[in-house]
This record gives sequence, structure tokens and C-alpha cells, in this order.
Amino acid sequence: MATAISVSGRRVECTDDQSMLEAFLRAGIWMPNSCNQGTCGTCKLQVVCGEVDHGGSPLDTLTAEERAAGLALACQARPLAETEVALRGEEMGRTTHVLRDLTATVVEVEEIARDTRRVLLGLEEPLAFSAGQYVELLVPGTGERRQYSLANTAEEDKVLELHVRRIPGGVASEWLFGAAAVGDRVEVRGPLGDFHVPDADEDDGEPMVLIGGGTGLAPLLGIARTALERHPDRTMVLYHGVRTAADLYDTDRLAELAATYRGFNLVTVLSRESVPGHRSGYAPDAFVDDIASARGWSGWLCGSPALVEAGVKAFKRRRMAPRLIHREKFEPADAVGAGN
Amino acid sequence: MTTTQQAGKQDLSWLDDVTMTELERNPYPTYERLRREAPLAFVPVLGSYVASTAEICREVATSPDFEAVITPAGGRTFGHPAIIGVNGDIHADLRGMVEPQLQPAEVDSWVDDLVRPIARNYVEQFEDRGRAELVAEYCEPVSVRSLGDLLGLQSVSSDKLREWFHKLSVSFTNAGVDENGEFTNPDGFTPGDEARAEIQAVVDPLIDRWIEHPENTAISHWLHDGMPPGKTRDREYIYPTIYVYLLGAMQEPGHGMASTLVGLFSRPEQMEEVVDDPSLLPRAISEGMRWTSPIWSATARISTTPVTITGVDLPAGTPVILSYGSANHDTGKYDAPTAYDLHRPPLPHLAFGAGNHACAGIYYANQVMRIGLEELLEAIPNLERDTGEGVEFWGWGFRGPTSLHSTWEV
Ligand code: HEM
Ligand code: FES
Repeated sequence: MATAISVSGRRVECTDDQSMLEAFLRAGIWMPNSCNQGTCGTCKLQVVCGEVDHGGSPLDTLTAEERAAGLALACQARPLAETEVALRGEEMGRTTHVLRDLTATVVEVEEIARDTRRVLLGLEEPLAFSAGQYVELLVPGTGERRQYSLANTAEEDKVLELHVRRIPGGVASEWLFGAAAVGDRVEVRGPLGDFHVPDADEDDGEPMVLIGGGTGLAPLLGIARTALERHPDRTMVLYHGVRTAADLYDTDRLAELAATYRGFNLVTVLSRESVPGHRSGYAPDAFVDDIASARGWSGWLCGSPALVEAGVKAFKRRRMAPRLIHREKFEPADAVGAGN
Repeated sequence: MTTTQQAGKQDLSWLDDVTMTELERNPYPTYERLRREAPLAFVPVLGSYVASTAEICREVATSPDFEAVITPAGGRTFGHPAIIGVNGDIHADLRGMVEPQLQPAEVDSWVDDLVRPIARNYVEQFEDRGRAELVAEYCEPVSVRSLGDLLGLQSVSSDKLREWFHKLSVSFTNAGVDENGEFTNPDGFTPGDEARAEIQAVVDPLIDRWIEHPENTAISHWLHDGMPPGKTRDREYIYPTIYVYLLGAMQEPGHGMASTLVGLFSRPEQMEEVVDDPSLLPRAISEGMRWTSPIWSATARISTTPVTITGVDLPAGTPVILSYGSANHDTGKYDAPTAYDLHRPPLPHLAFGAGNHACAGIYYANQVMRIGLEELLEAIPNLERDTGEGVEFWGWGFRGPTSLHSTWEV
């Protein structure tokens, strides 16, 4: 006889002669444990649903109150029914914005840089999200879904702003750079993703550096504007890395932001050409040259996997705490699965 | 021919040549051969039987036919009744004395406030320097300051606490004996004797004070908790256990942090993973404890009745040293045990012992190590081992890196 138990979305079989800990460990799922005899408390976890027999758990290690609160010692407990557990310290029941399926209307399609368009999608009812999250579009007539970050702040909840880069042969490009017209209807699912500003009460106004590659600028626009509204004096540097000056966009919009918020700076970085007024090279290198220490800063990276990885290295090199490094790897939406 | 017979007939004369110096420098080759040829064997230089595999360590540590005994060098260093060497009512009383402060729920209520500021303070002293020797400047200080404050030894400097555990440690493991069972290096106990005298000179007045005015410090609780009103535990009764703390509990979280760092440095990609996701630290530390067990071979059990273990007949009253550091390299249980690997199949290890004498401080020790490494890697995410300097491990009874030079860009 075996009973199913699960943790962090992974499900394993626990046989009658196994503790939950043993079943997880044998399945290669690590969880904290030390004594394996119920005396140290290291393996304490939360039963989220289901039922367990506490077995030999001593009252000293697992008090009556803790049992009542649904805690258990993994090394002693056996499941009596299908059971789901969560490790302590794992975020439990954190509220997130509800994932929804909506129908949107194309309000505007604008060419903003070479092979780059801004698409505005009108919603009939507002969508709740956090600045930085993304949505999925069902590309009309294809059954394919493509992911696009929102450039909006949470207040801009009725017209979604997406930045789209043309991918030759990509299904979404074919549509957005081809037949798409104002008034078209399109299915949208969202919000998704964990790349977003913290809740206002967890935002203590620390300095921020944001690095966006190409249309990876989109979520950073929502994040930067939200963070500056909250703490108008905060230090913030935004690096926009592109190949050539023709790939830059929204520089006026960002210059306006710099005029409003004195702590905000925009740095444009061109990797394939040298143009006065712009830095040459790669954005993470520009950051390393500019900022001597990012200790206490938070960092935001959105772009190709290579850019994000280089950014993480640069941030750590300048001693930013990794828990404050946020990353969004942005495979050009169309390239993903374009061949499927 | 069965394996048992084979084991019984093994020629173990090579064991006569094993020296203390060799074991302290690197015990692994000797123990690897022991595990293969005689997982329960009499080792002449130690004057004792030694259990070297996971199975036999666990069996002896949890067997009803064995009870605890302190090693001769340990007994010489700590005196009686040290918690690690007593049984029955005295052991129950001493466990009952130390356990309340070490219960997980209790530890959770103060450990972050205790350890995090201490860890931050030590990091701040070198974070802008770009280099540090992490054993002496971080791992040991964080470990001793945290426990020192918990015990009520705020007045004793971290350097003094480090000096004490070093001195107690070399005495405790001064285990070498001759064929008559006499210590071969009696002078080796001098450091421990010096430390004990100093400790008493500092702790006696504190005890005097706590007897009159109880405080919320561990030693004050040890004096008063569970005693009838107006009575306190005798100081001579608790001193040996104070020494257990001032040695093992002071030293091992530092060893544990340092070994985990060396292990991670040996796998740069795993170091990077842990730096990026500090929630992996408990697992990294657990593997660090397995890889280089801080209490490598320091506690023992003694048979209370004639027993046969893996074909070896032991009369009643036979001591067996538990070499947990060897058990944790048992190839019967772990693939490539000499490699540090954050992602190895997560099987339990024996670094904290087993049975009713298993470590009482597991939960607390794990939290100290976690918080210590969290703060270090948060402040210095670009930490690297200084490859211009070697890393040397030392110790048979207790084991860890003697130094760990590191650098980073500032
Ligand atoms: C990483 C750090 C530590 C390790 C690896 C460790 C490991 C061990 C081991 C192997 C034993 C002997 C178990 C046996 O004989 O089966 C032990 C005993 C003990 N440890 Fe720890 N320990 C650590 C830290 C601590 C700390 C911080 C404390 C207290 C705050 C502590 C308190 C004790 C006590 C009281 C005993 C004696 C238990 C008894 O004999 O009943 N330990 N420890
Ligand atoms: S591992 Fe120690 S209580 Fe479960």
C-alpha cells in the first residue's frame, strides 16, 4: 500500500513502512532533516491538506499547539490519506492577482523603432496585475500563444501596452506586423510571472538599477514609474541596451521621467555602433563602469538570456545581494516554439 | 566463504602502524580501509574499538546493549559528569537541563535576533577590504559570539572563546595510548588544563552572581531550572557540561560553515546556485556536514552485555568509538563520498550522531550556520577562494579547514 504525498508541486508515493521524509528523500526531493529520530525539529513542515499520523513525534519537538496548527515532523509522520505539505518558510497562500481570460480590442499599433511596434489593447473591464508582469496573447487564426510583458503601471489597467519586436517568420510577427488592425479582437490571458515590483509596504525606497535589452524595456517602464511614484527621491538608473540607435525607442518618455525625478538617470547603450550621446558596448559593462558599489540596491534585468546572465554577474560583482536581483529572461516571443 | 569469516580472518596488522599524527592529518585513507576490511576493529593507537560504517555506527549508537562512555582523553579533559559520558538519571537530568533552550520553537523565537546582528557585525569588519581569512575572521567568531551570548558569557571576548575551544579540543583528542593503555603524550593535556583554569576564573564569579540573581542566560537556567526553590545545581556537577559546550558547541558551527564554504568553492557552479538562491543553504550545509563532519570521531559507547556485531564478539564493558565522519563517507550509502555535491541524492547523514546521546543542539546549530552563511553571501555575493593560498583540513576527533583565504572585488 502506498499513499500519495506532495510538496512544492511534486508528488511521490509513500509506502506504509516509510516516513514522509524518507519517501521524499528517496524520490530525490530534498527537505531539511538532521536527526531522523524526531528529536531535533529540523524536518518540521506544514500539512496543507490531507491527514497524517504523527507516529513517534515527541511532544517536546512537536507541541500540542503545533500539531493543532497543522505542523508535523516529516521524519516521523505517515500519511493517512493523500497529503500535501509545505516547507516552513516557503511562501504559503500568498495572494496573487487572479489569472483571467479576457477579450481585448486592438486600440493602436505604432511603429516606434526599427522592427519594433507598440501595441495598445483595450479591455472591457480592468485587469489587476503588478507592474512588470506579462500576459499571453492567443495569436488570431493560429491557436499559438505568445508572451508579452506589460509596460503599464498597475493603475493603467484598462489599456495594456506591449512592445513587440519583429521576428522574421514568427506567427505573432506575421500578424502584428501584417494584418493586425485597430478594432481587431484578441484573446488575452494574464497576469503571469513573478518579475514585478514588491508590494508598496515592502518597498523601502532602496536605489534601483534596471537593465533592459531591446523590448525588454517594456516591463521596466512599468516598474520604474511605479517605484518612482512611491519614492520620488530614490536613486534609479535605467540602462537600455540595443544594437544601434535605430533600435532605441521611448527616449523622450524616459527623458521626461528624468526631468520629473531628479534621482532618475537613463543610459542608452549601443552594442553595434558608436554615436555621440550614447554609450558603446554592453549594458551590464556600462553598469560596472558607472556604479562602484550596488550594496543595498535592487536590480532588475529583462532581455535575452545572455543579457540577463551578464547582468546577474555584473550586479554580484558590484556586491548587490542576490535576493534583490530580479530577472526576466525574454526569449524573443515568436522564436519560442516558432518551429513547433 | 562468507564475508563475516573473511572479516574475522583479515590480517589487520597494518593497524599497528597507524599513528595519531596520520589520523589527524587525514583519517580518510585509514578509515576507508577499515570500512572495507573491518568495519568494527580494534585500533591500537586509540586503544579502542572503532565503528567506521554508517550501519555499524547507527547500530552501536542506538543499541540497547550499549550506553554512553566518554573517551579516556575526553574524560581527562572534561571530568565527570559530562553529558556525553553519562547515562540513566544523570543523563536524563543533564538533557533536561540543556534541552529547554534548544527546542526548535524556542530557538525560532530568538535565534535570528541573536545571530544576525553578530554575523553582520563581523562581515562589516572586512566586507570593504576585498580579502579575509574566513575561519578566523568569520566562521569561528560568529559561532562563538552567538553561543557565548546565549550562555551569558558576554564579558568574554570572541578571541578568548576561540582560544578556549582550541585548547580544549587538542586535549580532548589527545587520544594516543601505548600498549599498556597509557597516554603517549601526557603534555598534550596542558592546554586543556590551562583553559579550564581560565574558564573557572571567569565563570565562577558569574555563577556566584546567577545563584543569587537568576538571569535569562543558559548557564543561569542550568543552575536553577527544575530545582526546588532556594536550591541550585552544584557547579562541580555542571562544569563538565559547560566544557562540552565550550568545546564542541563553540567550535562545530564554525567548522560546519567553513567546510560548507570549501565544499561549495570546489563546485563553483553550485556556489553560484546557492548565492543566487539562499534557500538552498540548508541543503548545502547538510551536505557540508556529511562531506566533512565537524565531530568526526569524538564520542563513544560501551557494551553493557556481551554482544556480537558484524561477527565480532565484544565482551561486556567494551568501548567503541563512533567515527561519524567515516560513516558519512560510506560507499555503501553514498556515491563518490569524497566529493562535495549539493545535488547528491539526499540521504540522511550521521554528522549529529544517533540514539539518545545524539546532538542536543542540532536545530540551533543549523540555524547559526544558515544565518551566518546567509549574511556572508548577501554582503559578498562575489566571494571567491583565494587560489594563491591552499586549504588544509585538520583533525581526527574534530575536523574542519584550518584556514580559508578568500577574495572579492571591492
Ligand atoms: C555543526 C555543529 C554541531 C555538530 C556537527 C554537532 C555534532 C554532535 C555530535 C556528533 C554529537 C555526539 C552524538 C553521539 O554521540 O551520537 C553531539 C553531541 C552533543 N551536542 Fe552537538 N554538534 C554541533 C553543535 C552543537 C551545539 C551548537 C550545541 C549546543 C548549543 C550542541 C550540543 C550538544 C550536546 C549537549 C551534546 C551531547 C548530547 C548527549 O550526549 O546527550 N551541539 N553533537
Ligand atoms: S529530522 Fe530531526 S525531528 Fe525530524
